[in-house]
Amino acid sequence: MAASVRHLLKPWTPSLCFARWSRYNPYYLDPDPSKDARVPDSELSPEQKELQELKTVRPIKAALSSDTSSPFNDPLISKFINMMMQDGNKILARGIMTQTLETIKRKQVEKYHRSPAAKRLEIECNPYTIFQKALENCKPIIGLASVQKGGKSYQVPVPLTDNRRRFLAMKWLITECRDNKHRRTHMYEKLSQELLAAFANEGNVVKRKHDLHKMAEANRAYAHYRWW
Amino acid sequence: MTREDKEKGLWRSIFPINFKTYNTYHSEGHTGQYYMLPPAHIQKLFPYGLPPRFQLQIKTFNEGCVMVRPPALELISYLKRADYSKPPLRYVLYGDIGTGKTMSLCHALHYCYTQGWLIVHIPDAHLWVKNCKELLPSSSRPSRFDQPIQASQWLKNFKITNERFLSKVQLDRYVWTKRESTEKGQPLGELIDQGVNRMKSSSDVVGAVLRELRLQAGGATEGEGAFKLAVAVDGVNALWGKTSLKKEDRTMCEPEELTLIHNLRKMMKNNWSGGAILTALSQTGSVFKPRSAYLPNELLGEEGFDSMEPFVPVSVSNYNEKEFESCYLYYLDRNWLQHPHSRSEEGKKELIFLCNKNPSILERLCAAL
Repeated sequence: MAASVRHLLKPWTPSLCFARWSRYNPYYLDPDPSKDARVPDSELSPEQKELQELKTVRPIKAALSSDTSSPFNDPLISKFINMMMQDGNKILARGIMTQTLETIKRKQVEKYHRSPAAKRLEIECNPYTIFQKALENCKPIIGLASVQKGGKSYQVPVPLTDNRRRFLAMKWLITECRDNKHRRTHMYEKLSQELLAAFANEGNVVKRKHDLHKMAEANRAYAHYRWW
Repeated sequence: MTREDKEKGLWRSIFPINFKTYNTYHSEGHTGQYYMLPPAHIQKLFPYGLPPRFQLQIKTFNEGCVMVRPPALELISYLKRADYSKPPLRYVLYGDIGTGKTMSLCHALHYCYTQGWLIVHIPDAHLWVKNCKELLPSSSRPSRFDQPIQASQWLKNFKITNERFLSKVQLDRYVWTKRESTEKGQPLGELIDQGVNRMKSSSDVVGAVLRELRLQAGGATEGEGAFKLAVAVDGVNALWGKTSLKKEDRTMCEPEELTLIHNLRKMMKNNWSGGAILTALSQTGSVFKPRSAYLPNELLGEEGFDSMEPFVPVSVSNYNEKEFESCYLYYLDRNWLQHPHSRSEEGKKELIFLCNKNPSILERLCAAL
């Protein structure tokens, strides 16, 4: 397959320059900016050695300007920042994210310092683990798709891919914070409250996930309408 | 660490290079170590004096710890050795943005408080020259303007800080309106209450209070009544710069025309005795000054420099390696650095690279990690 795709690799300069889209040839590999990529050859398994070989031969896409080689760079957080961004204002979105992480950490560390020594081990202070766990708790397992059969459209329960689940969880978090909270609170405050609630499996987003699951369970009978 | 320190309970030993001791025993050997401010002192002395991010830090860590650094030690050593029968020395803390001028000032002020001085602390003089909602023409003088809200707020804070000095006797008779006046020999507390209750004359009350304190600070011959006066002003360059306030005919207001600023300028002159004037420059709150300006010459301007001269300049700079190490260990101890990479050696090198050992930038970086 690779050999047949290869001949399309001639440098193609478009007559119109697309500013937004990046339609790379599927032959191009994804970049891996982390420093761990430079591990010595002796420690790799045979598959990883093959992957390394490929990387030396195949072309690689250009790295995004928001990715850094530092271990502080988290792809999940970057994705969330991109989803929160409006009108391309990445600086504002990133600022809100750092303020959210700071607020979560402050609340938890305050709780940690004011609680007796016995309860301290249970309190989770790392905002990154809280964010990941909260997102996990918000991800739906099964979704609904609209299928038209015999003139009527039915809501059919359908499995979701990983990307779709992550997207839905993030989307619900952001819309919940934008729409259903008090007008005068800052976004980072609203987000931190929602994330801490989701971490404890409470809150409106987790409720929305449960509602979706219940709908899917109720529409079990139409599951065979799915043909994919 | 003596036995008295242990009894006072104000120290906590965490690591060999980082432990906390009581205030008066600070010396050069203690640089880089953290000193814990007792919570009662923080509530009384600094209702609005500390930087906002430091106040958040106190709330989060459930304790207020200040690092002992060379500028503050220098200031305290000068205060210990000064002669208080002569006119007061003016100390000016200057340095780049975020290097710790306000914190050093607060540290020295806490030393004065523990020694029993009377504290006159203006947390930020810039707040008096911008964003004023009510600018009234002065009741006593025709060409001046009053700021009742700021004045009464300051008087309330002054009352909280200096409660034990409120029974001081005052000298002169002041007339506020046709029917109200404060007689000779009334205690200072009444004068302050007058200012807090009657908003209209609160700026003039501030002027009267400052004048009384100036006249009485030198009275060292009386046994009980003797007190030393510490005047601490953060953002001194506001007194001689421009304001962003407008008069009713839409021309810009000069700082000289504001009652509060006029009285403060009189305080800055060294024609009284029995105290010290501690000041810090500040570019962050200043009006119409470029961000790169940090030297006294640039921020104070010609007029300000000539009025403040002669003064003792104290330079405040970024952390050196030992102080950075101490700050890093303090954050680790308080469970503040949560990201696993920030706890490794490489993470530390990255932090040094990103913040260039600037205290405020380091604090903001570590907050998100």
